[in-house]
Amino acid sequence: MFFSKALFKQSMKANWVKWLSVTLATCVMLAIVIIVLGSLSINDIRDSLKNVFTQADQEAELKTGAIDSYDAYLSSVEFENGIVTLTSNTFWDGQFFSIKDTITNTYDQNKAAYEQQNGAQPEGEALLQIQAESSSQVAASLYQMAGSMLGDATEADLAQLVNILILTYENNPTSFADENASTIVAAINAQYYDFVYQTAYDQSMAEEGATELSATVAASSAKQIAEKGVGAYVPSASFDISSYKAGAQNTVNQMLYDQVYGSFNITESSTDEERLEAQQNAIAVKVISNTAISTYELWLSEGASVEDARIEATASITDQIDLEVAEALSELGNMDIYGLIIGSIFYRIAGILLPMVYVIMTANGLLAGQVDSGSMAYVLSTPTKRRTVSTTQMLYLLVSLLAMFLLVTAVSVVSIWIVGGNTFAINFGEILFFNLGAFLTMFAFAGFCFMCSAIFNRTKYSMSIGGGISMFMLVCTILGLFGSQVVPAAMRIDQMNFFNYLSIITLFDTSAILAGGFNFLIGFGVLALIGIVTFIIGTFVFDKKDLPL
Amino acid sequence: MEKEEVITAENLTKDYGQGRGIFDLNFSIKKGETFGFVGTNGSGKTTTIRHIMGFIKPQKGSVKVLSKDAWRSSCEIKKDVSYIPGEIAFPDLKDGITFLKNQAELLGLKSLDYANYLIKKLQLDPSANLKRMSKGMKQKTAIVAALMSDKDILILDEPTTGLDPLMRETFIELIFEQKAKGKTIFMSSQMFDELELTCDRVALIYNGRIVDIADVNELKSSTLRTYKIEFLQKTDYQKFKRLSYKIVRDQKQYNQVTIQIDDSKINRLFKTLKNYKLKFISEIKFNLEKHFTDILAKQLKGGE
Repeated sequence: MFFSKALFKQSMKANWVKWLSVTLATCVMLAIVIIVLGSLSINDIRDSLKNVFTQADQEAELKTGAIDSYDAYLSSVEFENGIVTLTSNTFWDGQFFSIKDTITNTYDQNKAAYEQQNGAQPEGEALLQIQAESSSQVAASLYQMAGSMLGDATEADLAQLVNILILTYENNPTSFADENASTIVAAINAQYYDFVYQTAYDQSMAEEGATELSATVAASSAKQIAEKGVGAYVPSASFDISSYKAGAQNTVNQMLYDQVYGSFNITESSTDEERLEAQQNAIAVKVISNTAISTYELWLSEGASVEDARIEATASITDQIDLEVAEALSELGNMDIYGLIIGSIFYRIAGILLPMVYVIMTANGLLAGQVDSGSMAYVLSTPTKRRTVSTTQMLYLLVSLLAMFLLVTAVSVVSIWIVGGNTFAINFGEILFFNLGAFLTMFAFAGFCFMCSAIFNRTKYSMSIGGGISMFMLVCTILGLFGSQVVPAAMRIDQMNFFNYLSIITLFDTSAILAGGFNFLIGFGVLALIGIVTFIIGTFVFDKKDLPL
Repeated sequence: MEKEEVITAENLTKDYGQGRGIFDLNFSIKKGETFGFVGTNGSGKTTTIRHIMGFIKPQKGSVKVLSKDAWRSSCEIKKDVSYIPGEIAFPDLKDGITFLKNQAELLGLKSLDYANYLIKKLQLDPSANLKRMSKGMKQKTAIVAALMSDKDILILDEPTTGLDPLMRETFIELIFEQKAKGKTIFMSSQMFDELELTCDRVALIYNGRIVDIADVNELKSSTLRTYKIEFLQKTDYQKFKRLSYKIVRDQKQYNQVTIQIDDSKINRLFKTLKNYKLKFISEIKFNLEKHFTDILAKQLKGGE
């Protein structure tokens, strides 16, 4: 029999005041923290900061879209001009069909050569490679033949045009074989739209955080703009791309305006307010688009490269501040203040401070204190085994600690329920794991302090080793907080994270609980293990040592 | 027939270094015997008692209580042993009653009648706050806690410290009561007189070693008497010295002699003294204290 009811009662009588005051104080603190935080809107600043970043991201996206469309419009104008030049230029007059044959022959020959060499039809990358090679071959010879007749167009422009012709041939051989020039032009244009779509799609997908949907939307609007650009073209003998720029800008602005306005679903029955809101939003988008395109054009006219001009024109507020500051602000916007205060500060520091004091004092008083004063003699001069004494005292410590945390848990659950239950920043599941973790942390400390109390005969040693190391760890957790990831970068000193390695409280990872998943259970297991092992060592040592009673 | 041996120490040794500890203690206490243990502070009395209680493990040798090893069977022997610790510190409880009730529960005691008898006898107010009790009240409470279970063996570590002279009398009465019940008592003290009064045998421990175990009854029945005589005149002093009395101490400067004489020869001595002018004559009581002081003095001399 390893339990003595009389001794358990004696320990209860000796410690209940301490227990009650610590439990009440902790419960009250917790209730205040949760309820007060729950009724204040401490996340407002965070949310507006987050808004700034979201808006900045949206603005940058919008600007990029506007410039993409603008570019698509202009290049489609150029493209169409190329086609018309090819079909109607006096130099090419009558030769279009022989050029067409040259293209198909060169392409077919290159494909056949590949097939002979590799024993298979070219596919994927190989096919693209052959298309690119064929188009530059044909373009080079055409450019030589035409000479100055092509005006401003370069050999690269011609190569792009020929490439489209090859793609048209590849994907739609029947219409390409048609002897009617307008049928062929229509096929080429159709192929061109697909080309623009694919290019815009690939570009969007290459961007960070792009989704299939956003890429498709961006590609569709670029294609739409390209169609507009081609449609707007009026063949002219003296082609000048700059005369189309104003038109391109207006088209893009108007199209974005229409898209945004359209997304509000304004009907006959819509109120004036709804109309106004749709209008205002659409105008805002139109202004942003206009600014982006104007800036882009201005940088280009000042001699900037296309890439640089694009970066400058799409810059949002976040691009204008220093990168580190931007990251710090962005992190501040993403910081979970409730998680920080309730998890990292209350459950890992403030809320376990008093229970820790209780554990240090009680663990010492249950064994070492009574050995030191000599009062243990009264228990041990009765037929009570030492093992019974140590296990009864251990049980008292554990039961009192468990009762304390059951009450704290109840208070936390009720407080969360008061401030909105699962709609609160911290839900019921998370708060239960917080309580479990805090209990296991205290369980480990209780085991350690109990072991020290069992090892030492003097209060001063038991307190300074058991209590000293426990307090040291708590202080390390306080210092380590300033180096941990839960504190925003603006306040963080990474080197301080070193302190976290000195404390077993680090095994109780509140941010991992909030992040989801169950990895934190490993730390819980280690804490439980520390408690179990130290309790067992304590009872064994107490059994074997000399007692100065 | 030899009586049963209740407590036996064999070569009991615990060396704490620097000459502290106890060394090769041998003694055995028989059933019904009251055994005293006397010695200066730090001589090893409490260490010996802790061994008997099984609180510490002997380095060498053993203590057996009712032929059970005191260390290994520490718990079983407590069924027959009561203990008053030398240092009085109570558990963190409210008052005397709470403490005694708790203690009774630990002891598995059902009736508190005997405890109440003891409380009355010692005039103890058990409702007093444990922390605010005087030293004497604490000692009384400890005595009640130890004696109330009415066990056969009592281990008492300086049980009279803090008691006023009257209460000491009462306590000695209580010890006689216990003796009459046939209990075996082991009692340590610094007071020779109370040991002399209550004990059958007394052991003297000095620097961790038992120097002597005296049989108190034997000492009491001794017929040798010691007298100290001081003469008014030097001539008388010198004349007396020439007579054949056994002189144990001679102090010239005071004209003083100390003689030892058997009871039967006492009339002759007084006849002789009629012819001398005395300043005073006094009997030096031969008691335990004297016995042990003599032995210690002899030993210290021999040791040097």
